[in-house]
Amino acid sequence: MSHITTKAPLYGVHHTARPTWKLKETVEFYRDRLGLPLVHAISARGWGPEDHADFLHFFFDSGNGSTIAFFYYIGTTQPEYLASRDDYRFRATHTAWQVKHPDDLNLWRKRLIEADIPLRYETRHEIIESIYFEDPNGYSVEITCQLRPMTETDARDATLTIESAIALEQAGSGYTDIDTVWRRKGALLEAQIGGNA
Amino acid sequence: MMPAIYVLDVEEFAPLVRDARAMGGVTVAGPTQGYFRIFSPGEITFNRKSLGFKPAVWYGALTGGLVGRVAEFSRDTLRIVRE
Repeated sequence: MSHITTKAPLYGVHHTARPTWKLKETVEFYRDRLGLPLVHAISARGWGPEDHADFLHFFFDSGNGSTIAFFYYIGTTQPEYLASRDDYRFRATHTAWQVKHPDDLNLWRKRLIEADIPLRYETRHEIIESIYFEDPNGYSVEITCQLRPMTETDARDATLTIESAIALEQAGSGYTDIDTVWRRKGALLEAQIGGNA
Repeated sequence: MMPAIYVLDVEEFAPLVRDARAMGGVTVAGPTQGYFRIFSPGEITFNRKSLGFKPAVWYGALTGGLVGRVAEFSRDTLRIVRE
């Protein structure tokens, strides 16, 4: 990809957007219970695709210049393929907000109790500690605290892991477990540093 | 080939290195290029509670790389043997 040379900058998230068919509940959840100010709303005739419904598009401030946005398509019903379900693959699409200190997570735990929002799960991952809950649409929300910076060491390791998995995929090996990736990575490291470590 | 694992030299995986150093018949080398290499002529067995790992880290404990075979990966025991 040597023809891709332009350095184009990014400065974090402006907004993410998902559809809702629960307008009042969504506003109450994000604005009133979580306390995210409603900061912008578009109301418009449908345009673009001929069958595009009239709509509302509204934004809540989630700090540090970021917002979370929703579309409400007037007079439509939710298609089955967008219905939420209790499945880890559905929850894979989620929003993770950042706090700066583990104490902030405790404040959020307290806020969720006050707001009567069930905490679904909480855990310490490798470099982040997170709490999880759901919005009225069934969308998964995470609040996370990163416990240390990501370093060059992390980046090199990430490349090795993912390149190992891509190589297995490309080889059409049909692998079905993570051990296969670990072994491929182990073999690469053995060749690279094994005898010297 | 004797079983070995690679452990990234970062704080969240440091308990693997700490516990391996206390095991008889297990050698810890490195870190070299950001990885410790833990190996043994026999088996390498870790206990989750001794490591102090929550499940999210425990089930990714071999992410650094594996030489050999996982003979057991239960809630509290990880046992690595030769291929």
